[in-house]
Amino acid sequence: MIQYRLVRVIGGKGLAPDKFTTALRGVAADRQRQVYAAGDSEIKVYSESGELKRRWGTSKPGLSVAVAGDGSVYVGEPAQIEIFDGAGKLINTWREAGLLGRVTAIDFADACVLAADAADRAIRRFDRGGKFLNNIGKDNRMRGFLIPNGVVDFSVDAGGIIHAANPGRHRVERYAPDGELLGHFGRFDGIDPAGFPGCCNPTNVAVAGRDRIVVTEKAGPRAKLYDSSGTLLAVVGADVFDPNCKNMDAAADSSGRIYVADTVKLVVNVFEAVSDGKGAAEA
Amino acid sequence: MREKAQGIPAASFGRGSITLVAVLLLVLAPVSIADGQAIEYERPVETAPQENDIGGGYVTPQVQKPRPRDFWLQVLDVALLAAALALSVWTVVTRRSRKGLVALSIGCLVYFGFYREGCVCPVGSIQNVVVALTDSKYSIPIVVTATFFLPLLVAVFFGRAFCGGVCALGAIQELVVWKPIQVPQRLERTLGLLKYVYLGLAIWFAVQPAISRDFLICRFDPFVGLFRRTGFPHMLMIGGGFLLAGLFIGRPYCRYLCPYGGLLEWCTRLAKRGVTITPAKELECGLCIESCPYAAIEQRRAVRRKCLYCARCYASCPHEGPLARAKAGLVTVSPPG
Amino acid sequence: MSEKPTRRDVLGTAARATVLAGLGGAAAFLVKKAQGQVVWQIDASKCVNSRLGEVGVEVCTRCTTDCVVSLSAVRAVNEYSRCGRCAICPAYFNITSAVDERGLPSEKRCPRDAIERKPIGDIDPEDPANNYFEYVIDEEKCDGCGKCVMGCKEPLGLGSIVLRVRYNLCVDCNRCAISTACPKDALFQMPVEEALKAVEIERHA
Repeated sequence: MIQYRLVRVIGGKGLAPDKFTTALRGVAADRQRQVYAAGDSEIKVYSESGELKRRWGTSKPGLSVAVAGDGSVYVGEPAQIEIFDGAGKLINTWREAGLLGRVTAIDFADACVLAADAADRAIRRFDRGGKFLNNIGKDNRMRGFLIPNGVVDFSVDAGGIIHAANPGRHRVERYAPDGELLGHFGRFDGIDPAGFPGCCNPTNVAVAGRDRIVVTEKAGPRAKLYDSSGTLLAVVGADVFDPNCKNMDAAADSSGRIYVADTVKLVVNVFEAVSDGKGAAEA
Repeated sequence: MREKAQGIPAASFGRGSITLVAVLLLVLAPVSIADGQAIEYERPVETAPQENDIGGGYVTPQVQKPRPRDFWLQVLDVALLAAALALSVWTVVTRRSRKGLVALSIGCLVYFGFYREGCVCPVGSIQNVVVALTDSKYSIPIVVTATFFLPLLVAVFFGRAFCGGVCALGAIQELVVWKPIQVPQRLERTLGLLKYVYLGLAIWFAVQPAISRDFLICRFDPFVGLFRRTGFPHMLMIGGGFLLAGLFIGRPYCRYLCPYGGLLEWCTRLAKRGVTITPAKELECGLCIESCPYAAIEQRRAVRRKCLYCARCYASCPHEGPLARAKAGLVTVSPPG
Repeated sequence: MSEKPTRRDVLGTAARATVLAGLGGAAAFLVKKAQGQVVWQIDASKCVNSRLGEVGVEVCTRCTTDCVVSLSAVRAVNEYSRCGRCAICPAYFNITSAVDERGLPSEKRCPRDAIERKPIGDIDPEDPANNYFEYVIDEEKCDGCGKCVMGCKEPLGLGSIVLRVRYNLCVDCNRCAISTACPKDALFQMPVEEALKAVEIERHA
């Protein structure tokens, strides 16, 4: 099992410009290891060392955030997606009644933008211009993901495969961009750490490098690292998070650093694998 | 000098009214303010699956909200209380029948005691009334107000008809009186003051702000545990103790501790009718005095405010009791002696 | 022969009239103020088993042990519209118990087996766990111990199960024994009509 250690705590609860007051719901990281945090009604961008670089307001409370390859920042909000440039200027707003209810996750695949809609329990695929292409995850008996916890979270890996959390079924599912279910891993288990405990876990997913999937859980909040076949590789931060945390958003950068938002203490915890300090080492 | 059975002895009227005024002042002086409590309990509503998520014709079931006891049943209790009071007056004052009184006692014990489990009772309602008079946030239901005032109203005219056969606490003690001792008058008077102390304490704790309010009468009711057939072990033992003591001391709770009995005593001072040991028919035999377990006959006259309406004096009287009825021609018996 | 009323008689009548007027006045005042019955209820935001923000505390069973009625007047109530309908309910199951061959926990939380679990909606015949489930609490078996309430509390569950006083069982003591024992002072009195109208949240004026 790989060991991870907490290397930095970014943000916090308070009134200072680099702190949050009510909520911290989304986290993303770009290639320069800058951390983007969506909370209150703002986006705050931190440098790798945790210093606040930029902040701008969003028109509604941000639920999720994602950084595109060209540096533009997509923010998921109730009933809309706002797209900002790297400096924080609003470029575009997407509103699609019936398709964007509560956008709790955003990611990119090929030339498409994928957005989760928690109100409809599905993932929507749009092209870069905002035209709706297809649904992902709705083509099953339950007409969507089972999310009593209230968020749909997913992440796209380098091969364009979508890894989505289905908390009610205690598994992480793999979809192709056209919506075909390719496979899944995970099962309920209240005792074995490789299983997902409680009623609805895992709540959030992030892809960290090749064949590495980060999930976060609630009620016994922690993050875990799996490979795509479902083998547990690491348990991260089991005693770091406030026990009341729920729906902790996660992100990972290409070097294997893991960023997890603590939704109660309103901090972003940054973890690194303990080895020679270089990315995700094998156990 | 013989006390008149009718009217009010002047000396005791003065004492009684002063105590009445004092307690009224005690009640009205402290005005308590109950604390308000804010509740916030936010839970995410939209994350629970809706009916269209679940599909299959599913309809969210209604959560059961059981209603409390119907209002008409509570009114019925008050009506039964009024009827029992009337019956008590009629049985003891008019018919002068001990058997009727015992039957009424058993009936009220079964209904108000074991069936209704002693709640709501006029004794405890003192506290409700006191709280309602002093706490603007407390609202007293009409049935409780009626429960408090009805026995007092009857007492103003007829004396402690409530104590005789209607009060469940009194009835259970009445039925265990076996070989009661005669308590000397001075001791009786001193012990009788305890009930005013208890009344004062009960009022004091009831007028406290809601956080520190305590309902003493309910807490230290020795018999409610027996009525409910469950309770704190120490209270059940105290209740049993009172009943055991009641075998030899007639109705100790009623005479020395009952706070409502204190109120009834004051009201009874004004009563023009009630249990009477009539001078015209008196034999000076003293059988009534020996039969009264509650020291309510002084110098062969009924002390109305002490009289608990048990009708034993009538049952033992050669003029009033079974012997008198026999002589009236209903049954032929051989002469006594 | 009519007697001239003595001073004692006049005083007596006057006293009687005064006392009756006093009693009548007090009664009228109280009747005017009367708003109907008040009932005891539990504030879910204070009750140990359901208050938010405290995780890993022991279940408080005082509602069961302290009620003067032999089977407590407090019952667990599931507010269905807020229930997640999860296949693996942390209030129904003891989720730290070993998993059986169906993939479900082997033990139940309720010591009196008062919760009934049944699938609802479009039922999947192939995968029984791939369904929504309704959890109905049988109030005749429930004794208000609070274990399921603690299991449903956020973040573990959605907090749809709360402890409530059932008015058909409660004898409405002036001095509720549970309210005296409650460590968080969560019991309070409210008018019965308001209590019956309140949907999910118990509010105190």
